[in-house]
Amino acid sequence: MISRKTFITLLILLFLSPFFGVYLADLTGYHEPLDIVAEELGLIEAEFNWTPLKDYKFPGLPDFAGYVVSGAVGLAIIIAIGYLIKHLAVVNP
Amino acid sequence: MHIVHIPDGFLSLPVALLSLLISAAFLVLSVIKVRSKKLLTSEKVSILTSLSAGVFIAQMIAWPIPGGTSLHLVGGALAGIIMGPWLGIISMSLVLLVQCLIFHDGGITALGANILCMGVVAVLVGYATYRVLTRLVPNFVAGITAGWLSLTLAGTACGIILGVSWGSALPIYVMSVWHAILGVVEGVITGSVISYLHRVGSILRWE
Repeated sequence: MISRKTFITLLILLFLSPFFGVYLADLTGYHEPLDIVAEELGLIEAEFNWTPLKDYKFPGLPDFAGYVVSGAVGLAIIIAIGYLIKHLAVVNP
Repeated sequence: MHIVHIPDGFLSLPVALLSLLISAAFLVLSVIKVRSKKLLTSEKVSILTSLSAGVFIAQMIAWPIPGGTSLHLVGGALAGIIMGPWLGIISMSLVLLVQCLIFHDGGITALGANILCMGVVAVLVGYATYRVLTRLVPNFVAGITAGWLSLTLAGTACGIILGVSWGSALPIYVMSVWHAILGVVEGVITGSVISYLHRVGSILRWE
């Protein structure tokens, strides 16, 4: 399904991700173009939530570990959907 | 929290609904095309899954610029170039759906708008630009240009959606200018991955 090489690359990137997504992001207080627009127009994010994994955090885990576990959960779901598509919808000519 | 995808509360109701309708129409069209062209072979599903997983992880890696914004990949151009427009749209929509439903990354009311910008506009622009340019210039240059234009126009589309929501031209200006700058990184990553794939002999399968 996913080649071993791809999978290992994904795992390495997964373990690197919190250095960027959590550590450096906090360090530099970075913002996106969309943040600038929100500030200028006074837009506020609506306060309702449907998932315990909001913002790639995992309940009970520190941000750093939560980010990795969240990433692993996301990868697992995407790969599972891939398997599902393969079993349900594949056309082999 | 940094805002990469459009959250809830940023769009007016008519705009949210309209963008949902348009992106749903593109998704249905993609599924129809994939079925009629029999694109969904076992091999393509493997590429689709690998690419979706790769885009998901790549989007978690953002390199912040002090005091400014961040450098990261959206991946729409890459998805369109590697898999063609229809599977590309499906791949990006899958990533955006998981991000929204599981991680609250992008609002549930803004899912249509997020898919429209990053799943439809980014993919189609990247794919079309690459297809036109690859006959004229080296793969790397075609990939850079496709990635840059893809992100710039995806950001602009997002700016238009926000601008129409609130009757302001400011989001269009801010989003297009910023994404034209950030698009350079998207372009370099897209160009590098595409020229690497060509070098190792992976063929890009459009049809």
